Order: sequence, then C-alpha cells, then structure tokens
Amino acid sequence: MSTFRLPDLGEGLQDAEIVSWHVAPGDHVVADQPLLAVETAKAVVEIPSPQSGIIAQLHGEAGDVVPIGAPLVEFGGEDRADRGAVVGELPAAKPARKSAEPAQKTVLAKPVSGGVKAVPAVRAQARKLGVDLAQVSGTGPGGAITSDDVRKAAEKEASGARIERLRGVRRAMAQNMVRSGAEVVPATVNDEADVDHWGDHEDATVRLARAITEACTAEPALNAWYDGAASERWLHAKLDLGIAMDTPDGLFVPTLRDVGGRDDDDLRRGLEAMKRDVRARSVPPEELRGQTFTLSNFGMIGGRHVSLVIVPPQVAILGAGRFYQRYVPVDGKPQAHRMMPLSLTFDHRVVAGAEAARFMAAVVASLER
Amino acid sequence: MPEMDLLEAVNTALARAMADDERVVVLGEDVGVDGGVFRATAGLIDRFGAERVLDTPLSESVIAGLSVGLAAQDMRPVAEIQFMGFLYPAIDQLVSHASRLRNRTRSRLSCPMVLRAPYGGGIHAPEHHSESTEAMLAHIPGLRVVIPSSPARAYGLLLAAIRDPDPVVFLEPKRIYHAVKEDVEDDGAPLPLDRCFVLREGKDITLVTWGAMVLETMAAANALGEEGVQAEVIDVATLNPLDESTILASVEKTGRCVIVHEAAYSGGLGGEIGSRLAERGLYSLLAPVARVAGYDTVMPLPRLEHHYMPSEARILAAAHDCLEHA
Amino acid sequence: MSLASKTENPPETGAARRVAAFEVFYRRYLEENGEPCAELPGFASDPAALAPLYRIMVLTRIFDEKAIALQRTGRLGTYASALGEEAVGVGVASAMQPGDVLLPSFREQAAQIWRGAKLTELLLYWGGDERGSAFEGPAEDFPICVPVGTQFPHGCGVALAFKRRGEARAAVCVGGDGATSKGDFYEALNIAGVWRLPVVFVIANNQWAISVPRSAQSAAETLAQKAIAAGIPGEQVDGNDVIAVREASERALARARAGEGATLIEALTYRLADHTTADDARRYREDTEVSARWKAEPVARLRNFLVARAVWTKEDEEGLRTACTKEVEEAVEAYLNASPAPPTAMFDHLFQKLPHALTAQRRALAAGPEDGDA
Repeated sequence: MSTFRLPDLGEGLQDAEIVSWHVAPGDHVVADQPLLAVETAKAVVEIPSPQSGIIAQLHGEAGDVVPIGAPLVEFGGEDRADRGAVVGELPAAKPARKSAEPAQKTVLAKPVSGGVKAVPAVRAQARKLGVDLAQVSGTGPGGAITSDDVRKAAEKEASGARIERLRGVRRAMAQNMVRSGAEVVPATVNDEADVDHWGDHEDATVRLARAITEACTAEPALNAWYDGAASERWLHAKLDLGIAMDTPDGLFVPTLRDVGGRDDDDLRRGLEAMKRDVRARSVPPEELRGQTFTLSNFGMIGGRHVSLVIVPPQVAILGAGRFYQRYVPVDGKPQAHRMMPLSLTFDHRVVAGAEAARFMAAVVASLER
Repeated sequence: MPEMDLLEAVNTALARAMADDERVVVLGEDVGVDGGVFRATAGLIDRFGAERVLDTPLSESVIAGLSVGLAAQDMRPVAEIQFMGFLYPAIDQLVSHASRLRNRTRSRLSCPMVLRAPYGGGIHAPEHHSESTEAMLAHIPGLRVVIPSSPARAYGLLLAAIRDPDPVVFLEPKRIYHAVKEDVEDDGAPLPLDRCFVLREGKDITLVTWGAMVLETMAAANALGEEGVQAEVIDVATLNPLDESTILASVEKTGRCVIVHEAAYSGGLGGEIGSRLAERGLYSLLAPVARVAGYDTVMPLPRLEHHYMPSEARILAAAHDCLEHA
Repeated sequence: MSLASKTENPPETGAARRVAAFEVFYRRYLEENGEPCAELPGFASDPAALAPLYRIMVLTRIFDEKAIALQRTGRLGTYASALGEEAVGVGVASAMQPGDVLLPSFREQAAQIWRGAKLTELLLYWGGDERGSAFEGPAEDFPICVPVGTQFPHGCGVALAFKRRGEARAAVCVGGDGATSKGDFYEALNIAGVWRLPVVFVIANNQWAISVPRSAQSAAETLAQKAIAAGIPGEQVDGNDVIAVREASERALARARAGEGATLIEALTYRLADHTTADDARRYREDTEVSARWKAEPVARLRNFLVARAVWTKEDEEGLRTACTKEVEEAVEAYLNASPAPPTAMFDHLFQKLPHALTAQRRALAAGPEDGDA
C-alpha cells in the first residue's frame, strides 16, 4: 500500500477543491493518467497518477476542499482475477459437492413397447377394439403389426376362437417339423409283434429299447446321422435313444444314453429319472440332443400305425401303438393274442427299403422272444 | 397468356417489380450487360438502365452488404449470387445483419432485400455449382427462405419476396429452369409467402417436397396412382417460416408421409418436418415418416450425380415401404 | 511518406519504367501540448468555435467513466471504452450534416453523442436492451456494428442509395485498425472506388486490436495506403488532434457531395483503456507505453489550446464538468429506472408482421411455463 498525497500545485496555494474523480477503487491506472480534477484559484487542474497500480481507496469526494499533502489515493488495491473473457461473464464452476450417495445405478427397464412393433395409430386401434397386441403376430415389415392384423385379431376374438402365440416347446416342435419336412424323404414300414406271452409287468419301453438295440446291430444303417448337404452319413457305434414323451406343455424327447451298454435295471432307472425330470421340466438341455434314433411309444394314448416325423440328422424313428387283440392261428386253431402295432419311418435318401424291412424284422423278433 | 419456363418467369417478375417500384434495383455479377449467366436478368439493363441494373465487382460479401445498406435506406435491392456455392461469403451479412437489422433497431431500420441464387444439382456442372445447403439458411430467425418449383410459383413468389418488407433468400432450382413451360400471366399478382402449396390431392399418402424434386415427386405420385394409391403432393415453397399446418392436416388425412429433398439427409429440413409430425401428428401416423434425400456426402461430380439425387424410383420405394406398414 | 524509395530499379532505365508511384500525407495542426504547429483551417480561425467540440469530448469522457463504473458494479454489461479517442469521433461527426449517415463500429460513442444519440440509449444498448439502438435522434444512422468490418459494405449501400436518388448526402463508416484486415473492408473500398460512391471511410487506428499491436496487424507502412489499391485517396491525420480530424473529414465529405467519390482517412490515436471491461491489457502491453501516450491525449490538448487562446476559463471548465456530470447522472437514473421490455418483445420486431407460424411460440412465451403449452 502506498499513499498518494495532493502535491503542491504552485501559485502559493494551500488547498484545492475536488471537482471530479476519474477513477474508482479497483481500477488499474498507469503513471500520468489523470486521477482527478481539482479546482484552484486559477484553473481546473488534472492531477496525474504518480505510478501504475491498482487503486485501493479514494479520499474525499467532489466538493471537498483538500489541503496540500492530504492523502488522496491509496494504491495497492486487490487486483481483480483474470476472468478469461473479452465479453460477457463466464459463470464459475460451483464447488463439487461430495455426496455420500453411491453413483446412481443405471435403471434397467423393459422397453415401453413390450417388444411389440406397432405405430401409434395401430396401438390406438387395438385399444379401441380391445385387442392385446402381445398376442398378435405382425405381418408388416420387420414383424410390425398392421391395422389389418389388429382387425383380424378382433374378428377372431369376436368369433370365439382363442388366439394363442406359440411359445417354447410347441414352437420348437413346429420349427423342427418344418425342418424335417424340408429335408427328409420319409417312407414307412408297418408290422406287428405278438406280445401275448409278455407278463403283466413287462415294461414295454424297456423291451422296445432292447429291441431297437438288437435291430441296430442287425441293421446299423438306421442308427446313423445323415448330412444331406455334404452327402455324408455317420454310422453310430452306440445307440443314444430319444424317447418321445407327451406332457401338458408339449412333446419332449429326452435321450437315454448308450442303451446297448446298460442292463435292464439301469435302463428302467434311467427311464424313471427321465420321466421325473420331464415332469419337473428340469431336463438339462444337452439331454434333449444328440439322439441317434427315436422311439415314440404312444400305446397309452391310442392309435395303431402311424407315419412319424424323423428329426434330422437322424434317419429313422420307431412308433409303437396301442395293444390290440387279433386272432392268430395256433396249431391250426384261432387264438386271440395281444398284438403290438409297430411303424418304422425311415429317411429313404439314405436308408434302403430292404434295410428298413430287416430292421423291423429284428425288432419284431426281439419283442416276440 | 404467355407460356414461359421458370427462368423466364423470374425475368418477367423482375421486370414487373422494377416497373412497378422505382426503388427496386438489381445487382450482382454479370447481371447487367450479360443479362446474368443464366439470363435471369436479360433485357433489364436495356429497359431500366445501368443505374438500376448494376454489374458489381466480384465480391459476394459486398453484394449482400451493399444490399443491407440499400435496404436500410428504403431501396428494394434484389441481389443475385451467381451460384449457391458462392453464397457462403455472404452469409455473414445475411445472418449478422439482414436477418436482424429490424430486430436490433426495434424497427427503426429494416432490411427489405431479396437475395436470389440458383441452387441444386443435376446439370452436370463442375464442383461447387450444385449446392443444396438451404437448411443452414432456414435455421436463421428473421430470414425467409423461399424456393419456387414452377414458372407460375416463381413469378408469384418472387414478386411477393420483393414486396415483402423483410429479407428473403430466393433459391431457384436451376435444374428445372427450362424443364417445364406453363402459362403465366404477367399481372403483378403475388403468391402468398409462408404457405405450402398442395399440388395434388390424395387420401393415401402425403409426399412433401420442394424445388426441383417436385418433378420426381409428382412422377412418383402418378405412378402410385396407377397402382391405385392416391398420393397428396405438397410443395413447401417457404422453408422458413414453415407452414406446418398444411402438412399436418394432410398427414392427418393420409396417415403416411414421405419427405423428399435433394439436400443431404442429416440436418436437412426433412428432419424439421418429421419432428413436427412427431410432435403434433403422431396419432395419425400409420407408418414411420420417411425421408428420401441426398446422402450425407459431398455432392458428387457429374458422373455420380444421378446416384446422389433422389430419383422417382427411390421415392416410390419409400412410398411402398410406407404403405406396407399399416 | 513517399514510397518512391522502395522501388528497386531506378526510373526510366533498363527494363523497368515507373508506371505508378504513391504518396501518403499526414496532417496535424496541434502539437501534443496544444500549441498550433501550422496555420489553422477556416473553421478553427475563431477558437471559440471549437468550444462545442470540447464540450462533447468532455461529455463523452465523463459518460465513459460512468459506464465503466456501472459495469464494475454489475449494472451494465461488457462495455468498450472510448478513452483517448474522443477527438476522432467528435472530429468526424462535427464535419457531418444531419442528413448524412454514420455507420460506427463499437467505439464511436463520441460521434454517436455528437449526432444526437441519447446517453440513456447508449446505456440501454450496453446494458443489453435492443431499445438502445432505436435512436430517437439520428433516425437513419446505423447501430453499433459488432462483426468487425461488416459495416463498410453497408456504408457503400447507403451511399449508393444517395447517389441513385441524386441526394447530396454522404455515408461515413468508422472502423479500427483491425478492421482493415477484413475482406469486407477491402471489398467495400473497391466498390466505393469503382462506383465513385459518396462514402468516407475513417479508420480509428488506436494501435491495438485487443492484444494484437498495429505492427502485427499489417505489413503496410500506413493503413491509409490501402486506399491506393482501391483507387481512392487515402491520408493520415493525428487522431488526437480534433482540428486535423475535422478538417480531413470536411474535405472528404465535400468530395463525396461533389460526386468525386470515396476517401479513406486513417486517424492515428491510442486506446488508453482496455479493449473492453472484460479485458486486461496488462497481459499484453506495458504500463510505461500507456503512460507515455497519456501525454498525447486529445481532451487535455484541446483544453490547453482553448485556455491558451483565452477562450476557455476556469469557470467554463467547472461549469462544463458540473453540467456533464449532471447530464450523465440523469441519463443513468433514467436507464436504471427503465422497466425491462416484456419477453414477447423478442418476437415483435422480427418481421414487420409476425408470421402465423410463430404466433404459437409467442403465445407460449406470453403464457409462461406454469400455464403449459399454448
């Protein structure tokens, strides 16, 4: 801080009256810059600054009479900070508040559209007609639901039909069957086995599994995978048998692994475990794959001979229907015997009719033992 | 009634405006003795003299700045920039001054100027001569941007622009300068600014466009008509201020909208129109609003030019997509 | 200052012959201490006639000081001080007639005040209110121009309108040394030259374009010589000598009115304050340089001249200071008490008639956020 005092203005004057200040506290001034105008007897005089610096304080106001030597200006004022702007005012950053809250987690939300693609006009229409868009399949571009789709859905609703979207198991079945139909060339051999001699507690599925095993030994061509595109077939050493099972949720086909390498008890245990798992819907995904042959025993339900659908890359599937009674000649006399109907559907691209017939014969022979 | 093309309509409107109002002066490069490189100002210097048809030095910024000064003095300058590609040095004068002189002086001074420029591609021109950057101007408050699409509309809109008390940038789609001839009465009647023109009525789909694309869009509309689809075609004409109510009313009727512009897709005015539809026309929409536009690339040189510019086929494809939705 | 010495080949020998040579003249009538150094021009032959010039220069300075004080206390926005340049503005404006048009940059307060802009209007402008440019007085003068140099083409347009209508009026554009680097400046000079427009270009060369000194702005020896490229006369004057500025302006305006075309005047002065109130010139120039320049400042120079000629007394000085201070105070009062324009004012002068497309926005603004969308 340094003080600038009213200098001697000459003319023998003892004081001067302040006319006006040119500067204010905080101003930066340079030497020789007029600080204020004072009036003497003779003239109005500008008082120049003795130095460069920042004005801290002014003494006296316009109209005050100031004696020579009295303090006028204090230098050494606080410099204003560099604001780094040539126009306007840039707001300073607010001090960052340190918060105890953890960083906000991203909130995952389901898309508001529920995954349904429909323009607003169609949504409005669906609302009006009371149609649940989630149940409508879209025929528009990219699966978008069109107003026609909504209209049709509304009509079906009105006529009492229940529109249901295929999901899960049913959907998978539909997809598999389509694939089969596109690739496989099926042919079917029908036969019957006389199982009248079976005991009451004979486990048909186990017997059928055994029979298939023996038949695969007799005719390995049916325990194979076929790759039509590469024109390759893989003949399997082991039989991993798919067992078709009907559940309220649809068709499941879990795998009974290596049937040939297990005894009957083991097979029975395996089948029980399979049934449990299927009922509980706890079959591991790998147990629904890798089958080399499939058995569909629908005898508990009904039906005799069927044309079944082969699931590629398998080349054959055996169906066993409901027992029926038939008269068979025994020593020339008719006797009513319990018969099991059998249907073998095979992929004729890679399995010859004779192979299939021999396979079937081996199955029958095994069952009739 | 005389038959004339768009360029002749511009010329006729200029002559008309100059005859009706002493304050109208035309200025620009080569507009006097040469009559303009496209002949838009042909004959004017003979009729109105070199005091009113001024050949300026090569100075786009000064052409625009001079116009600001003239306009502030209650003259009615109609400046020509030879090509939109050379308009950019004038943007400072348009944005910093023309668009805001009235505003910043509380109407004490105003800027009744018109700046004309041929714009758009498709004439196999060298680089920089095929620009369609109208969206950057349409973004400026206080600046009108007007684009005619036919001889009659060129005549009426240019007259309206010259008579308007505020600045107008008048972009002439040069590809169609000579493409269409129609009867235009030189009756001095202006057409309304700030209003879309419905060129074709229809109930099935709305096609919104401006400038030279009107031709391709109308062709697409006719093709749709042969398929049994009735397209409504709207010529926006004044890009800013935008007449959204005409577009909204149309889409409320049809539920479908395809916007066609030659200018690049991103940041083009189609985005503005689409946004307005999303804000105030959402519940009418049966399909997403589509844009058929130039790609987000520099306008290619003539060999690839036709791939860049929206074609009738591209417009039709977009319309078909739209129609498949609902 | 002759450029003849710069040519490499002597004239008329060998391959080269001189086809053009140019001279630029500098004029000054008052030394820094206020003593005449040449015979004074006609209008100054009676020194008392210069008192009105002095009054406006003092008023400008007092206004300027007050404006800075207002900015420092948060009652005015960023302000560009005219400290030290009062003679340029008053010298130019006092040579103009009411029918002429002034196109200033943003440091011509002295000229604006001379031409009748109200102090309150200037405060409104710098305080951030468009009404500050709606001058009640000089109805056709242009408002302050911020994009540097863009006012020069406007001046040409205004001059062209005068010429077209056969009016004996002139446009006067004022800009700074920095402005002479802009394309618009060169282009405007060019068209003014080739079209013989009645326009006067005044360059207030205050030696600084924010932090860029004159020496770094251009390699041209003088800024006046940029006129030569446009084919118009260019000259320098001591911009702190109001007599020199006035005299040159009178000649240039006479030329313009006589249909002889444009003139460029480079007025050498010094920016004694920071570029604006948001600038700190200590970052790029020495205090000692500024101190030295205070010795040449224009207000004291004219005062000394008037006092020495005994046409200005202490009482005159006192009375003037008091009157100016009062006038400034009253203007500040009116400015601070002016009620703000309504928000919708931003729509009201956008076009002569607000387009229908914008009425909804204006309504929404008028309704305010509580009332929802209009």
